[in-house]
Amino acid sequence: MAPEQWADLWTGTRAIAPLMPGAVVFGMAFGALVQVVGLPGWLAPYASSTVTAGASQIAIVEALRQGAPAIIAIVTALVINARLALYSAALAPIFAPFPLRWRLALAYLMTDQSAAVSSFEAERWPDPVRRRWFILGVSGPFVGVWILGTAAGVVLGPVIPESWQIGFIVPLMFIAVLVPGLRAWPSVAAAGISVAVVLALKDLPYGLNVLAGALTGFALGSLVPERPRRPRGEVPPQAVPEAGDP
Amino acid sequence: MTLTAFIVFTLAAIGTYLIRISGIVLLGGDRDLPPRVRKALSLVAPAAMAAIVANSLFLDAGEWRAFGAWHLAAIVAVAVALWKRSMGWTLSLGALSFAALLLAGL
Repeated sequence: MAPEQWADLWTGTRAIAPLMPGAVVFGMAFGALVQVVGLPGWLAPYASSTVTAGASQIAIVEALRQGAPAIIAIVTALVINARLALYSAALAPIFAPFPLRWRLALAYLMTDQSAAVSSFEAERWPDPVRRRWFILGVSGPFVGVWILGTAAGVVLGPVIPESWQIGFIVPLMFIAVLVPGLRAWPSVAAAGISVAVVLALKDLPYGLNVLAGALTGFALGSLVPERPRRPRGEVPPQAVPEAGDP
Repeated sequence: MTLTAFIVFTLAAIGTYLIRISGIVLLGGDRDLPPRVRKALSLVAPAAMAAIVANSLFLDAGEWRAFGAWHLAAIVAVAVALWKRSMGWTLSLGALSFAALLLAGL
C-alpha cells in the first residue's frame, strides 16, 4: 500500500472522528444490555461485527427478552434496517467505478454515519482509487470502535451500578440521532404516528408494538405531502433527515 | 435462549447485508430509484427510531414507566436537539441532565 493510500485512508478516518465517541457509548450500552438480559457476553461483539446496526440489535435483544419467536425478532430487525437500502442506492453511483470486491466490502462496513459522510465528501474525490481508500477510512475504523465499544460494555456492564440506570442511553441515543434531522413534514408525521401506535398497542406480546409502530408510521408518513402550504417567503425545510446509527 | 439468539443475530446479519448491497449491486450507478420509493425509504429511519424511543422511554417491560428522571431528561434532550440540531450536544446535555436528576434523587 502506497503512502498516498495511507494518507487518503487517514483523511477519511479524520472526517468521521467527531462521531466516534457516540458510537463507543452506544456500543457500550448495547454490550451492557446483552449482559443484563442474561445472554452470554460474546454474543454482543458477535452481533456488532455481523449485524453492525445498533438500533436493530437492541430491538432483537428486547424481542428475545420478551420471549418473542425468532422470526418476529428477525423481521423487526430487518424492518428497522430497511433504511440502509436508501443509503445503498445513494452510494451506488459513488461505488460504481470500484472493483466488485471493494463494493462488497465497503457495503459490509456501511453505517448511517459513514454513508452520510461518504456521500457528502465523495465529490471531492474524483479519482476512484483514492476515493475508495478515503471511504474505507471513513467506514472501517468507525465499525472498529463500535465493536470495541460493545466489547467494553460487556466487560464494564457488570461493574456499572444499577442505580446509574445506564438503560437511559437507549432513548437518549435515538433522540440524538432522530430529532436534530426532523424537519420535513412526512418524517415528523412518521415519527409521531409511530410513537402513538407503539404506546396504544403496548399490550401486544413480543415487542410487536415496536414493529407495528415502525410500519404504521412509515406507511402513513408516505401519504403526507412533502411541502405543505406555507407562508410566502419562508425557507423550505431541509430534505432528508440525517440518521445516525449503529 | 443462547442458541436462539445466535441464530437470530446470524440471520439478521445476512438479511441486513443483503439490504446493504441491494442498491450498490442492482442500481450500479446509471439507474436511480423512483422518487416515491426514495421518499418511502427515507421515512423508515424516523419511524423505526421513534418507535424505539417510545418503547424504551415511556414503557418498562410492557408497563408504563413511572414519571421521573427519564421523562424530564428526555424533554431536555429533545429541546436541545431542536435548538442546536446537533447529535453531540443532545447526547451530552441529555446525559448530564439525567445524571443531575438522579443525583437530586428523582
